[in-house]
Amino acid sequence: MAKFEKLLLKITLIIIHLHYSFAIYEDQVGKFDWKRSFIGKTKFAEFESKRIIVVTDENVLASLNANNGQIVWRQVLETPKDNTVKLLYIDRDIYTINGALNGWIVRGWDIMTGSLVTEWSIPTEKMDISEFLVLDGRLVNIVPIVGSHLEISTYYLSTGELIGKTSKISTPWLTDASNCIFAKSYYICISSNDYSGQLYYIDFLYKSDKLNTKSLQGFLEDLLGPVYILRVNSDRPAFLLASRSTVKLIEIENDNLVVKNYDISTTPFIAKNEEQQILYQLEASSNPEKLINVVTKDYTTGEELSRIDLEYPVGLGAPTIVASSSKKHNSFLLLSTSDNALLLVKLPEGKVHWTREEALSDIVATEFFELPVSELDASIENEFKTNSNNIINMLVHRLTTQAKQLSNLIFGSQLLSDSGLVRDKFGFHKLIVVATRIGKLFALDTISGSIAWSYRLPNVKPFNILDEDKMLLFIQRTARYAPLPAQCMLLAEDLITGDSIVFQFDPITGYSKNGIEKLNVKIAQAILLPHEDENQLKAVLLLSSNNDALVYPSSAKSLVFKHIKHTHIYLSDSANGILKGFNFYHSTEDDFKLTPTWEMKFYPSKLVSVNVKHPNERVHSQGRVLPDRSVYYKYVNPNLISVATVSEDPIHKHVLSIYLVDGITGLVMYSASHKRAKGPIHVVHSENWLVYSYFNERFRRTEVVSAELYEGHVQSNSTVFSSHAVSVLPHVQTQSYILPANPVKFAVTLTEKGITNKFLLIALSTGAVIEIPWLLLQPRFNDIPCGPEESCIPYMPEIPLSSEAIINYNQTLYRIKGIEVAPARLESTSHILVHGLDMFYTRVAPSKTFDVLKEDFDHLMIVLVLTGLIAASYITKYLASKKTLKQLWK
Amino acid sequence: MQANPIKTNKKLSINNSIITYKSNIFLIINFNKDSTMFVINQLAVLTALLSYVLGSNLEHDGSVTIRLQQALVFEQFPVWSERGNITIQSLRLGQATVDQKPLSLEEQKLLRDLAARNSYYQIKSIVTSNDGSERTFVSSVKACMLAESELDDRLSVSIDYMGRVIGVTLVVASNSACEGIIVPLEKLKFFNTVVYVRHSETGPIPDTASFIQKIEREKEAKEKGETKDNRSFLAKYWMYIIPLLIFMAISSASNPEAPQGQ
Repeated sequence: MAKFEKLLLKITLIIIHLHYSFAIYEDQVGKFDWKRSFIGKTKFAEFESKRIIVVTDENVLASLNANNGQIVWRQVLETPKDNTVKLLYIDRDIYTINGALNGWIVRGWDIMTGSLVTEWSIPTEKMDISEFLVLDGRLVNIVPIVGSHLEISTYYLSTGELIGKTSKISTPWLTDASNCIFAKSYYICISSNDYSGQLYYIDFLYKSDKLNTKSLQGFLEDLLGPVYILRVNSDRPAFLLASRSTVKLIEIENDNLVVKNYDISTTPFIAKNEEQQILYQLEASSNPEKLINVVTKDYTTGEELSRIDLEYPVGLGAPTIVASSSKKHNSFLLLSTSDNALLLVKLPEGKVHWTREEALSDIVATEFFELPVSELDASIENEFKTNSNNIINMLVHRLTTQAKQLSNLIFGSQLLSDSGLVRDKFGFHKLIVVATRIGKLFALDTISGSIAWSYRLPNVKPFNILDEDKMLLFIQRTARYAPLPAQCMLLAEDLITGDSIVFQFDPITGYSKNGIEKLNVKIAQAILLPHEDENQLKAVLLLSSNNDALVYPSSAKSLVFKHIKHTHIYLSDSANGILKGFNFYHSTEDDFKLTPTWEMKFYPSKLVSVNVKHPNERVHSQGRVLPDRSVYYKYVNPNLISVATVSEDPIHKHVLSIYLVDGITGLVMYSASHKRAKGPIHVVHSENWLVYSYFNERFRRTEVVSAELYEGHVQSNSTVFSSHAVSVLPHVQTQSYILPANPVKFAVTLTEKGITNKFLLIALSTGAVIEIPWLLLQPRFNDIPCGPEESCIPYMPEIPLSSEAIINYNQTLYRIKGIEVAPARLESTSHILVHGLDMFYTRVAPSKTFDVLKEDFDHLMIVLVLTGLIAASYITKYLASKKTLKQLWK
Repeated sequence: MQANPIKTNKKLSINNSIITYKSNIFLIINFNKDSTMFVINQLAVLTALLSYVLGSNLEHDGSVTIRLQQALVFEQFPVWSERGNITIQSLRLGQATVDQKPLSLEEQKLLRDLAARNSYYQIKSIVTSNDGSERTFVSSVKACMLAESELDDRLSVSIDYMGRVIGVTLVVASNSACEGIIVPLEKLKFFNTVVYVRHSETGPIPDTASFIQKIEREKEAKEKGETKDNRSFLAKYWMYIIPLLIFMAISSASNPEAPQGQ
């Protein structure tokens, strides 16, 4: 019997675990999730039969299908943080060279499959810039050493064997390597960026002893302004000399300079046709509809061969040509734009074949938007909303709206419902507005993953907040208030001045009334205030770097003033390790003044994370019911800030400290320190708990700690919470776990009412996003038994990571930068967007979809059963009455 | 290439305090009950704070002196007046001597006015540690709460793992913001300040040892064979027997009709 009981216990435990693993079935793949893969801004590209081989700034090597621009294969190389790709060379295989100053890796890849064929490295001790080129199938490595010499090494490309010895060419004239270029076997320099400079060029491979010198004055007409030397892609040794007004293409023929005497742009592209060398360049057109011309010139004579109007899409940035392929009658140009898009243009038609929006590979802000109700629903709502109480007016109002509804029904309604951007019953259909690093805004449809609209903001950059690049999106008004459109605000920095810019737009259509507005101040803090004005618009409070407060829009100032005295704010100064609290008690109607109320000084520790709870989060249950039926009340302080600091320590190497600070009074509610713990630190702060992870240097593993705050068995004030009234310090329960993986990002699910269980989402460096139920991490009480009867999972030091818990199943996501969460209108479900190099959207239901029927629910069966039962009851009733009648006659 | 402008690394967020006034009759009736609660909670604060003192894990003990200054008029740039000195002889033990001068009549009036205007009372603590380094901290409490507690306040001195002071916060123990009681002036004279030195707890570490023990114990139990269950038959199988009995009782209750019908 004992054996049986043990078995029973094990089965229940297994069931509990199974309950929290939510794998999907094979036929559900792609049903409510989508993935978009990106490669980043194109750096080098080359056509290779029907493929385009691309290397990007994100250090991604990819093969694109030339017909539709889709990725055939993709290889993600080292992170671009301290590693750059220097060369792409295509022979029978593809060769790439990437690395940092002290070491370069040469890799050969198979063209068809993208699999790695060879790999060898070039170790260098010197911290100098290396340049690479391939000449006659050999790899040449040039290391210019300023003021001294050039070091030239030649290798066999496929094996990495050094040919001969590293040669040194004396170049005492070399002053600045950025003023030098190489073209074929020539190394060309200008001695200074003005007209008094000299032009030096040397054939480092074949005639390394012969230095040629020319004065710059002979080449360019105007004698003012700086002069630059630029590379050009050509089969021959050629380069560009550019000044402010003129650009000259110069070719080296037998050590002599030949100047091409025709007009040329700074970014020409030289390609080889069947017969001749031709030169493509892009010029602005006077045609207002087709803004860009492709001009084709003969390379030798400079004769203009053709001038084609490009059907260039509106909204894309300025393009440059990165690759071309010429066939008999038509040729293709691959363009890369200033907003990181990649497009293929077909000539001579001038049509855009396809476009890839590579800006989406670097997202810096995300927000989910509910769609507006359909026009019919809106008019029904409007029907009962009248301003007057007059019967006749009301009648007229109802009749006109009903007439409108009728006409809509007959003639079809307009815009919104046509595009399908209409709210659905469960809130699954939303728009995700994302802002990208390059300054392009996109709205993505959650159902299809397609781009609903995009908007390019030139010259903007993200803020740098605690070593993370971020822009800020504020939802000022949701789409709930029809006919008023939804409104959203983007806050970013100007690329040149560093001042802040505001961009206000309708997130559903992408329409902006005012465009970009410059604020002419640097912004240190921005807050969306919860108070709505008569148009249901929320104001944003901005704090400049010298603590002046602004209200945006400025018309909301009087509304904000009403509440400002009860508004508290905190500022964190990560450079000095200071956290400060302020209120606005001394504000006047025109001038919002900050009054410091508390401060904390962590110096010399470094602030690594400052976190607050999600502003839209709701805590549904006030306490936790213990097995003895008593309630243990949660400490739910909405003003709690979690702070993580790391300090360098001579004995313990790194010490991580975690603080929970009340944002109104500055009182430390809880603090803990971990010795020999270093970053990356990830913190998730929700409800009455905190989860953080760090790397334990002593055991060389990642550990996750959960801390939960409770008030105790008595709630100090059940009606209203005030940070000022400190009656009991929270009881803190903690528990620590080992995470057998390397996490890159943490997030927690968010649902509309907070009834559903919470799931932690952890993005791992392997490219998986795993969901872990909070119940698994929740600290266990020491004195209370834990088992299936108490619906408690016994403590296990290692967090089990089952492959069923990976929400992106087998779709690896590279370089995950963020996980964004938003509630659906259905309580059970949250929207999840994971972004990085890839973008993955899915919906998760932590407590399973308890509020909706399963999609495989058999409607037909239940109808049949019900009708069968009803019919049977009537038939039996009839038969029974017949029988009783018969019996009575007996 | 233009140089990057200097960025200010400031984190953005909002906190709204929830401020309520309880001054209606209902609450005055309930006041007695509330005040008893208040005492209980004060004790709770004491025990909660004491647990921090006991959990000390400082490697080096140190002493700290705090010069306390106060502002009895809430201003954007407050004027500070001396309130007293606090010496913490041992950070590890949390022992402190508090030396504060009583409020003058003028200061008492200022505090009463501050409370009446629902304004803030501020302190500035200048902390000098034994290596001579100095840090200042500002802290604010609602003046009405301080007045209602009759100047019974608590000073929370938070230190990090090395014993560096990271924050000094003034707290008034209460379980609601302000009650709206009028406190006689003579009660606003002597500060009754309790100083709590609050240490940083040692963070938890994964408890692998006890888990391995547990597993081993289970293994041992398995090897030893089944442990005898020496409960009585009824105690073991009552959950099967009771439904059976109920079922039998129901069926026997409905059965007697059957022979009657025949």
